[in-house]
Amino acid sequence: MASPPPSPLTTNSAASAPPDTSNKPAAPPVNILPTQLATTYSYIHPAALLSAFAARFPALVNDPVSEMAQQLPFLALAHVAYVMICLPAAGTDSATTTAAATPTSPSTPTAAATSSASSATTTTTGSTTNGNVILRPGRVGRRRTKDSSSSSSSTASAIRGRVVASLLSLTLTTLLATPVLSILLILFGAPFTTHHAQTVLCAAHMAILSSLALVYVHGVDGNVWKEVWGAKRPGDVVWGGALGTCVGAWLGAVPVPLDWDRPWQAYPITLLTGAYVGFVLGSVLGRSVLFGKRVRFEEGEDVKKVD
Amino acid sequence: MVSVTSGGPGLESPTLSDSRNAGPALSSRSPERNEHRKPQVPKALAGGSAQDKYIQGLETEFKFKHLGVLGVLGWILFLHVVGIFFFTKGFLLTRMVLENKSSCDVLPFDEAATVSKKVDGCWHQKSFEKAVVIIIDALRYDFTVPFAPSAEAESAQLFHDHLPVLYETAVNTPENAFLLPFIADPPTTTLQRLKGLTTGTLPTFIDAGSNFAGTAIDEDNLVAQLRAAGKNLVQLGDDTWHALFPGYFDPNLTRAFDSFNVWDLHTVDNGVTANLLPLLHPENSTKWDVIFGHYLGVDHAGHRYGPNHQAMAAKLDEMDRVIREIIAKLDDKTLLVVMGDHGMDSKGDHGGESNDEVDAALWMYSKRGIFGRTSAETAKPPMLARDRFVPQIDLVPTLSLLLGMPIPFNNLGSPIEEAFIGPKGNDWKNVMSVNRLTSAQIKRYQREYTASRGAEDSHQSQSEDLWSAAENSWQKLPRIGRPSQATLLSVSESYKDYQRYTLQLCRSLWAKFDVPSMLQGVAVLSAGIVLLVFYARSLKADQTDITKSLLTSVGTSSAVGVVVGAFLSFSGFVEMPVVESSALLAAAGSIVGASWTILAGSAGVSLPLPSSLWGWLAVTFTITQSIGFASNSYTIWEDEILLFFLSTFGVLAGVSSMRQKSTADRVLGVYHSILFVILGRIASFSRLCREEQMPFCRSTYYASATSSTSAPWQLAVPFLVALILPTVVRSFYAGSKSYEGAATLWIGLGFRLGLFITSVFWVLEGADDGEWLPLSKETLKSVRVFLAQLVLALAFAAGTTAFIYSKPCISINVSQGNTEPESKGKNLAPPQPAGRTTVTILGFGNVHGTRYFLLVVNFCLGIILLQKPMGQGAMGLLLWQILSLLEILDTNGLVLGNSAIGPIVLALLGSFYYFKTGHQATLSSIQWETAFIPLSSVQYPWSPIVVILNTFGAQILTAIAVPLTVLWKRPLQLSDQSSSSPKSNNPSIRLLSDVVRAACTYILYFATINLATTMWAGHLRRHLMLYRIFSPRFMMGAAVLGVVDIVLIIFSVAGVRWSTLSVGEIFGW
Repeated sequence: MASPPPSPLTTNSAASAPPDTSNKPAAPPVNILPTQLATTYSYIHPAALLSAFAARFPALVNDPVSEMAQQLPFLALAHVAYVMICLPAAGTDSATTTAAATPTSPSTPTAAATSSASSATTTTTGSTTNGNVILRPGRVGRRRTKDSSSSSSSTASAIRGRVVASLLSLTLTTLLATPVLSILLILFGAPFTTHHAQTVLCAAHMAILSSLALVYVHGVDGNVWKEVWGAKRPGDVVWGGALGTCVGAWLGAVPVPLDWDRPWQAYPITLLTGAYVGFVLGSVLGRSVLFGKRVRFEEGEDVKKVD
Repeated sequence: MVSVTSGGPGLESPTLSDSRNAGPALSSRSPERNEHRKPQVPKALAGGSAQDKYIQGLETEFKFKHLGVLGVLGWILFLHVVGIFFFTKGFLLTRMVLENKSSCDVLPFDEAATVSKKVDGCWHQKSFEKAVVIIIDALRYDFTVPFAPSAEAESAQLFHDHLPVLYETAVNTPENAFLLPFIADPPTTTLQRLKGLTTGTLPTFIDAGSNFAGTAIDEDNLVAQLRAAGKNLVQLGDDTWHALFPGYFDPNLTRAFDSFNVWDLHTVDNGVTANLLPLLHPENSTKWDVIFGHYLGVDHAGHRYGPNHQAMAAKLDEMDRVIREIIAKLDDKTLLVVMGDHGMDSKGDHGGESNDEVDAALWMYSKRGIFGRTSAETAKPPMLARDRFVPQIDLVPTLSLLLGMPIPFNNLGSPIEEAFIGPKGNDWKNVMSVNRLTSAQIKRYQREYTASRGAEDSHQSQSEDLWSAAENSWQKLPRIGRPSQATLLSVSESYKDYQRYTLQLCRSLWAKFDVPSMLQGVAVLSAGIVLLVFYARSLKADQTDITKSLLTSVGTSSAVGVVVGAFLSFSGFVEMPVVESSALLAAAGSIVGASWTILAGSAGVSLPLPSSLWGWLAVTFTITQSIGFASNSYTIWEDEILLFFLSTFGVLAGVSSMRQKSTADRVLGVYHSILFVILGRIASFSRLCREEQMPFCRSTYYASATSSTSAPWQLAVPFLVALILPTVVRSFYAGSKSYEGAATLWIGLGFRLGLFITSVFWVLEGADDGEWLPLSKETLKSVRVFLAQLVLALAFAAGTTAFIYSKPCISINVSQGNTEPESKGKNLAPPQPAGRTTVTILGFGNVHGTRYFLLVVNFCLGIILLQKPMGQGAMGLLLWQILSLLEILDTNGLVLGNSAIGPIVLALLGSFYYFKTGHQATLSSIQWETAFIPLSSVQYPWSPIVVILNTFGAQILTAIAVPLTVLWKRPLQLSDQSSSSPKSNNPSIRLLSDVVRAACTYILYFATINLATTMWAGHLRRHLMLYRIFSPRFMMGAAVLGVVDIVLIIFSVAGVRWSTLSVGEIFGW
């Protein structure tokens, strides 16, 4: 993944977006950071996630609520580590593409700064490295990965910036995505008057799996989120994971009504299992075969509206 | 078109400017509407035109094609009826339940002999005062006899030789006990077995005529006879008895235990033993006459571990101990019976008809020593279950006569000889007399059954012969002196021959599925679905274009089928009544003919694969649910699954709405998607749980889980509906400025008034139940009936009239000069010179939809009246969800795109709300009492119609709404007169094709569900849960399909005629 081949769809969307259009193009699909560590860890993380889930499965069946509650911090921690190591923080993804194209362009910081000023809306405690450009934490991080010869103080601040960004994403995920997913679970038929702890905890797990990376990578970029709500994002590791989590949980509801009297059929164990498996599958597929592909509702739906 | 119809205020009111001298000219901001169309001017305003004839031609064409379409739908209905009929004929083997009861005073003989006074007991000298009947659930015969290897290598299994007491007593003291194999009739489920063990008759699919409302046995049976004779009955153990015999048992001594927890081996058994042994104490002996003890431990051990397990051995040891204890405490007057109701297969399960499952054991014991053996070779109990077995129903006459009871009327069993032969084994007179009694009873039953069913079969004569032969030999017995044993034996045997022959006869009539007939039904249904798929989903031409050729080929080929069928039947090639063979061959012929027209016709078909996510979604919903019906769990939880599907659709609709280009579409689409999901979830709180859903379900439909009346707070629901629902409908009309004309009167006034009267009706109903008002029941009843009839008259009589004759829901303003009061400040037309007439039409954008929707309102009102208060709330939510769905379809551009999703989601909604109006896929959930809402006595055909409107109200309402999936906000298209071929250019025909396509898609859902439930029920016909789950679901699926077909033909598609004509009358064609 060091230098990802630009998918036709990606280049298309980048090229076909004139800068002056009112509907600014949303961010292109995201790649794993082009470092050895990121690449390696991006494989380790899903594997570790699944193994840990499998290992703790008996405990989960035994007492879903306390097990989910206990595992939640670990999941959050693991996922924060994953996004920090493997993914570009908000506002830097487009710059990554640019940087990949012109690695030594002197104008990169300025261009990136402009784009960050317009697109990024996360309020951050920016750290000044160069004096003339106020960089967002994510930017520092990205520059850090590109330019490994920076000073140690820059390294420290870069890491600090990533921590801040990931913690912000975590907060947003917890505060927004968890309630939204809880409501969705209930709308899909989860008990309304009972099992609140199960619902909220399941939603929290799903929120971290699906939304943390999205927020970390895209911030609160309106265009990206519009695409997310419309399920129009091009396939990548982040969107694949998010979509996979939801589809997996959806499919996870299938065994619940069966009368096999197995303890693992209890709500929400199967949903959670589906979500984890779906996340891993979605991430893997999103970065490989489905990279850059979009969910389509109708064949040639753009043409259709004219009729 | 989407952006136009919902673009904002004023857009739905294109302004027509009409110069006095010039012809009509339209100025509108909707360019795509005007392409290839003549100027859209209300016909009424266009004045006398020379094109009248042309327009009339279009109108006639529409009417004609409309009739043709109804013909096609009628043919589809015919296929469904034939398919369901043939499957049902082979599957639902019915036995009529006769209400007759045997009476102690009347002997079963023809000559109406009364009981001679010397007899102590009814009909026959009784042997015992009291009885203890122990049922050890799933006591297989080989559990009770010593292990005898049938093959060299076979070795004893763990269950062998752990219950020796039965065999020991039968061998050591043959006058005190006997042990026999006891063969059950499938299905080997406890409920069905208990029916057989107490009534003496065979189980069939439906006991026609029995009380649908519950499982209680209303046939004559042993328990009822004992109860009628004043015996005090005690039941311990399995609570199935209480479902079958509610209120028969002494409430103080009876202890019932839940039978469903198969993982618990001991609670029931310990409870039975702890309560049984004290009752056997001499000081308690006067408190009871008959004890029924039902142990479940052996059955549960089998289900959980299988028979070859240590737990089974332990359980059998325990049973052995218990029986020995009972024997020790038993007194002389009491008969002890121990039996299994069925066996178990090698895995410990049961329900089917394999030998292991039907081989149970029967053991009778008494301290008096009155039992005997008829011959030396029968001295010992048989070692194998298939030697010298007795059918389980033999228990009924045996026990009845031993206890001095009359034999239950429906009994088909025979007395067990060992019980009547006497300890010396020579009392053939006794055996003969019990056999004669039993035969006479069977004869009497047979006569009654034939009389009420109508004689039909030729087998009757042979059983008649056997009976008269036996009677003749009995007549020949010497009246004076003792006839020889051999004579008595032969007379007895001839009676027994008659009994066994009749049993065989009934078994062949009642207990065999007619598989070829079932397959014929399934074949017709499948072919119907395949044709429907191609007709509705993949025809390249318009449906209306092939109507003529389709009807011709269907008519010709089915006529040929009728003739061939009649010929085959008359000439005796097939053993079928002429009507049946004609119908079957007509269906087959029409299928062939239609396949030719549809598949090989000029228009051609494409592969019916969905082309969009919506299409795939529709297919997924239908297919997964159909597959799910193979599982009893998914059948039980159908309501939750439907909610899951509907939420899925709602969420995807929201996602899809986010993709829309126009902001208005996006906002409206997302809003209605969220609304759709939330409304569905709110409706899901109204539920009536079926037994199998417990304990994971809480009923909210009535005041409590054990009541069938509404709680006082629920009476507020109708008022809320009356308050909110018309406003909701109005808001959807107002969205397209269509709240004009008939709509204001009908929705604002008529609908609201009807709903309000409905609320009053249900308050009076509640007042009647709770006795809140100082009015007599009769007064309340007549007031209620009057109110209900008023609402129905409003909904169906006035409503239909209004629907047929009202104008479209638009308002047309003609004003002089530049003033444009209706355009709300937006000048749509360019500044016009003075002296021009401005015509403003409000409600233009949804003229078809709002006009047709009036019919939905009518039906909604009528159906709401017939629902319980909670169901009224649910129906209100349904109407709201339907409207929301229509908006979703519109904002996502699915109205004109031939998408299957609209009709399919409507079908899902209909099925979902079936469960939300207090119904389940069980016969017991039918709300029969609703027949008395508008009537004070049962009147045909109105009472069944009322019950159907109550039961399938949701499916009916959604069926009525089906045409809206292509009519809602459909842009008004008029024919282009300049075109050379007016035939292909009649937009009303396009509309009709779209309506037919939607209707067929809607039918497809229910037809697929019906086929699936049919096939699963046929495939699982020996399944444990057949009677409880699969067969009721099959019946529901078939009934729904029929109802939906008929409603679509008579009301929905027919209604399109009136609404289209009404639109055409104003706007032209």
